[in-house]
Amino acid sequence: MTSTSAGAAPGEAGGPGQNLGPGEASSTGHHAHPDHSLTGFVLFLASESLVFLAFFAGYAVLKNGALSWYPAGVEGLEWREPLRYTAVLLSSSGTIALAEHFLARGRLGLFRGFWLLTMAMGAVFLAGQVLEWRGLAFGFTDGVFANLFYLLTGFHGLHVAAGIVLMGVTLARSFTPSAGGGHKGLQAAGLFWHFVDVIWVVLFLLLYVWR
Amino acid sequence: MTATPPAKPTNRLAIAAVSLWTGLIVLVSHWMAQQSQRWLPVQASSAAPLVDGLFGFETGLGTFIFLGVLTVLAWSLLFHRARKYDESDAEPIEGNTRLEIIWTVIPLVLVLLIAANAIRVNRVLGVLGPMEHAHGGAVPTGALSPGAEGSGPVTSALATSDAAATELQVEVIARQWSWEFRYPLSDGDVQPHGDHDGMAGASGGTGSGGAATTHGMPATVSSTELHLPINRPVTFRLLSEDVLHGFYVPAFRLKQDVVPGQAISFRLTPTRSGRYRLRDSQFSGTWFAANQADVVVESPAAFAHWLELGVQQPLQPGLSPAADDYARRQQRPSNGWATVVPAPPPLVNVPGSVALPHDA
Amino acid sequence: MVSTAATSTPPAPGSWLRYLGWSTDAKVIGIQYIATALIFLLVGGFLAMVIRGELITPEADLVDRTVYNALYTMHGTIMLFLFIFPVLNGLNNLLVPLMIGAPDMAFPRLNAVAFWMVPVFGLILMASFLVPGGPAASGWWSYPPVSLQNPLGILLNGQALWILAVALSGVSSIIGALNVVTTILRLRAPGMGLFRMPIFCWTALSAQLIQLAGLPVLTGGAVMLLLDLVAGTSFYRPEGGGDPVLYQHFFWFYSHPAVYVIILPIFGVFSELLPVYARKPLFGYTVVAIASLVIVGLSLIVWVHHMFPSGVAQWMRDLFMVTTMLIAVPTGIKVFAWVATLWRGKIRLTSAMLFALGGIVNFVFAGITGVMLATVPIDIHVNNTYFVVGHFHYVIYGAATMGVYAAIYHWFGKFTGRMLYEGLGKLHFVLTFIGTNLNFLPMHPLGLMGMPRRVSSYDPEFAFWNVLASLGAFILGVSIIPFLLNLVSSLVRGAKAPANPWNAIGLEWLLPSPPPAENFEEHIPTVLRGPYGYGSGEPLVEHQERYEQALREVAA
Repeated sequence: MTSTSAGAAPGEAGGPGQNLGPGEASSTGHHAHPDHSLTGFVLFLASESLVFLAFFAGYAVLKNGALSWYPAGVEGLEWREPLRYTAVLLSSSGTIALAEHFLARGRLGLFRGFWLLTMAMGAVFLAGQVLEWRGLAFGFTDGVFANLFYLLTGFHGLHVAAGIVLMGVTLARSFTPSAGGGHKGLQAAGLFWHFVDVIWVVLFLLLYVWR
Repeated sequence: MTATPPAKPTNRLAIAAVSLWTGLIVLVSHWMAQQSQRWLPVQASSAAPLVDGLFGFETGLGTFIFLGVLTVLAWSLLFHRARKYDESDAEPIEGNTRLEIIWTVIPLVLVLLIAANAIRVNRVLGVLGPMEHAHGGAVPTGALSPGAEGSGPVTSALATSDAAATELQVEVIARQWSWEFRYPLSDGDVQPHGDHDGMAGASGGTGSGGAATTHGMPATVSSTELHLPINRPVTFRLLSEDVLHGFYVPAFRLKQDVVPGQAISFRLTPTRSGRYRLRDSQFSGTWFAANQADVVVESPAAFAHWLELGVQQPLQPGLSPAADDYARRQQRPSNGWATVVPAPPPLVNVPGSVALPHDA
Repeated sequence: MVSTAATSTPPAPGSWLRYLGWSTDAKVIGIQYIATALIFLLVGGFLAMVIRGELITPEADLVDRTVYNALYTMHGTIMLFLFIFPVLNGLNNLLVPLMIGAPDMAFPRLNAVAFWMVPVFGLILMASFLVPGGPAASGWWSYPPVSLQNPLGILLNGQALWILAVALSGVSSIIGALNVVTTILRLRAPGMGLFRMPIFCWTALSAQLIQLAGLPVLTGGAVMLLLDLVAGTSFYRPEGGGDPVLYQHFFWFYSHPAVYVIILPIFGVFSELLPVYARKPLFGYTVVAIASLVIVGLSLIVWVHHMFPSGVAQWMRDLFMVTTMLIAVPTGIKVFAWVATLWRGKIRLTSAMLFALGGIVNFVFAGITGVMLATVPIDIHVNNTYFVVGHFHYVIYGAATMGVYAAIYHWFGKFTGRMLYEGLGKLHFVLTFIGTNLNFLPMHPLGLMGMPRRVSSYDPEFAFWNVLASLGAFILGVSIIPFLLNLVSSLVRGAKAPANPWNAIGLEWLLPSPPPAENFEEHIPTVLRGPYGYGSGEPLVEHQERYEQALREVAA
């Protein structure tokens, strides 16, 4: 190919905040764009939220059509203890925001502290979940409410666990900045954590509040 | 050669030719609409003429659109071909706003008209009977409500109400793979012949249990062949004992899935005497294709007579081609492909037949 | 992308061995997808031959009923998940980066992962023929409770493997969709605004957005089905308080839009090919582009039309009838735009063009029967009959697969460097067109007469049309022969493909055939105007003469 050099490449100047209106360039080939992964990740989260939406819709439909909802001998779920763990999980959205805030200010130590705190709070939530499961009078296969309860909390718990792992990986990377991809991984982990929190709020309302 | 030549007189000729051709397409479409009625089975229910009317209308309209598109396409292909060595481009026509608005608005209006018409037909059909679900209103998504079986209009009508005099109640039980029909006997059913002594006391039986007798006296007549009196509304109570089935009588143009855990009430009025096929329309496993029964629409007198004969019949195994076939299959060495074992043939008063010639 | 350069293709770029192994090059992956899909087309087609062989007589006499049920289940599953989706993913991989001037997909490694899941779940599905009891036999819908019956009561049953395979297919498709959408949103060449994209990219974007919205719901529903089957839950089991109809909602929420996932890129193919072979710009480009997005929106709110007789409330029937019919409007816009594109063009009937035109004709027919099926009272009669089978196959074979053939004849030279033979191509077209119509048209009268779909035997009054349909199917089977012959002989000794054999406009035609691994490398062109400047005489990109000059130098 002859050299065409493509004039002044406008994609170069676009930077991360670039929007995609007509006439605007998105990329110039070999210059890796930090945004691609984040775009993909946001799309992934949007898509993933629909799995939960499907489960929620299924929950609502089955509950509306049910004659007896809870397993025999169960009146409803104990909600006070779960509410405490809910508070822990929701506050962790604040701590991760603080961590990101400190990172933006360049205060790496505080960032790591709050990041680790967020991970710990997630772990506390998971532990609470396990305790609740062990204390329940019904098992996974005891009727359709039990099916849904374990499916929803279990699937959400998997996401919490995945979030903790994701944060762990980003934390480890923060010690080796040369590994690359640090910032976008961090943003992704943050987004994912907020996502997990929002899902939990809906889940809590469906499972514990809606009688 | 081209469609829009510049000269004016030719233009007028073109308009005349297009009009003529359009008229011809209209005629063909009309003919197709009439023809379409012959592709359908005989009309044996009050719903059938309405469904067929809609189908004829859409066939006509569809033919017109199809031929219209095809005409323009064919014209282009015949007369707008590139000459052998002509590598040049055609005239760069990017679009035409007016045309684009026309072909957005006209289809929009057309489909909305069709939809409005179909909704109207839905309403009429609903009045005539077939679209009422026992629990459809309360649970819009069709979620199941097994325990609510006794609460629908069906059972209330079964007992004593005035509707019982005109409306027939039949319980339809679908299984892998047989159809069973149960006629709860009430005064109205055997009235025409007058010799129903001893039956009146049993009229409260809903036939929801497995056996069809109460202390020797049949509370129901059961069969594996569906008999219906002509011109009398019938309400079916559709039940499934295992998987999804579909209650489908093509001659009636009506179909309803039979959902396990749900009692679906389903109304129709047969309007033509004859023998028709009831087919399972929702895939139900190995012998799905063989899960058929005959529907006999007959005069009220003949129906009452059939019912009376039925009462006198002892319970006997009904029709189940699947069970027979399974027995034969067991004689042969296994081919390794798994199947659900068919339910034994239901015990019924009247087995009936699926070997007689049917009208549709 | 840096990562592409770092990870791609250990075998020499020219060697065809790279198609057999791990590669992150979208052009290699695209061909891997298409080759895999064509192999499974043969498998699914063979099953179709057995099915039509069984149905040529009324009795269930060729194969056992259990076998028949498994065969039609696998036919549907293979054709959808292992032929049509992969082949379209292949087209996405080949065409999208080139058309928008990107060097590769946005996530090359994920791209390879998504592809390699296809043979994996393909093998799982094939392996299900070998497990005790045979493969899944409850139809490609796998409606519970029939799909939960598991007669042998074993854990590793055909149905469980089927669900596993479909779930893997879903994951693969979601990854693919993330990739395509991100690529289109982020990697367009300078100057290529959304409204300068070729329509194929619009339709690819639209289709993949549907994947992102619909597949998660199906996956959620499938997880619940699997748990019901193997873990003792009762989401869909009425005896445990579950609801079998709920599954149908999950299933159709995705599986109806899935038809648009399939047909939208084919609309894209038609929109690309007609301007080339009619030498005219696409009529009403902007409206056609937007119509794709309108179809995406509508496609997500029509699913209940598959469930009119399933036990849904009357208001739902009415509502979903209206939304379904509305889809006819944006679809009609496209059809009329194609017809207007041809009008007063300079039409050249190449094999690709013939397939595109045949596909459009079949599609118009399918659209009309589609409106009939949307009409609730008509649907109540023909639902789950052969009328639906006929309608669906007109869409999926008559329009979509013929569109795939059109695309292959059009772009084969671009990606392999060899031209397909036109004579064999036309023979392939004639056999396909006749076979399609002979096979699928008789299904409509059968459905109107009341022959249910999925039957292994039928009443004798249906015999006549079934014989015709079976003959059509056998013609379709034969039609594959000239196609395969064409592919093989062209690859071996076909004429070398020039850079732009059809004198077409588009970024992909500014590259040699086959294009270099990194497409435009560092010379990404700046796009100046919309994609179909036929007759305008204006260049598509800045310094177009330099690109053309370079091509001439390569050729010389």
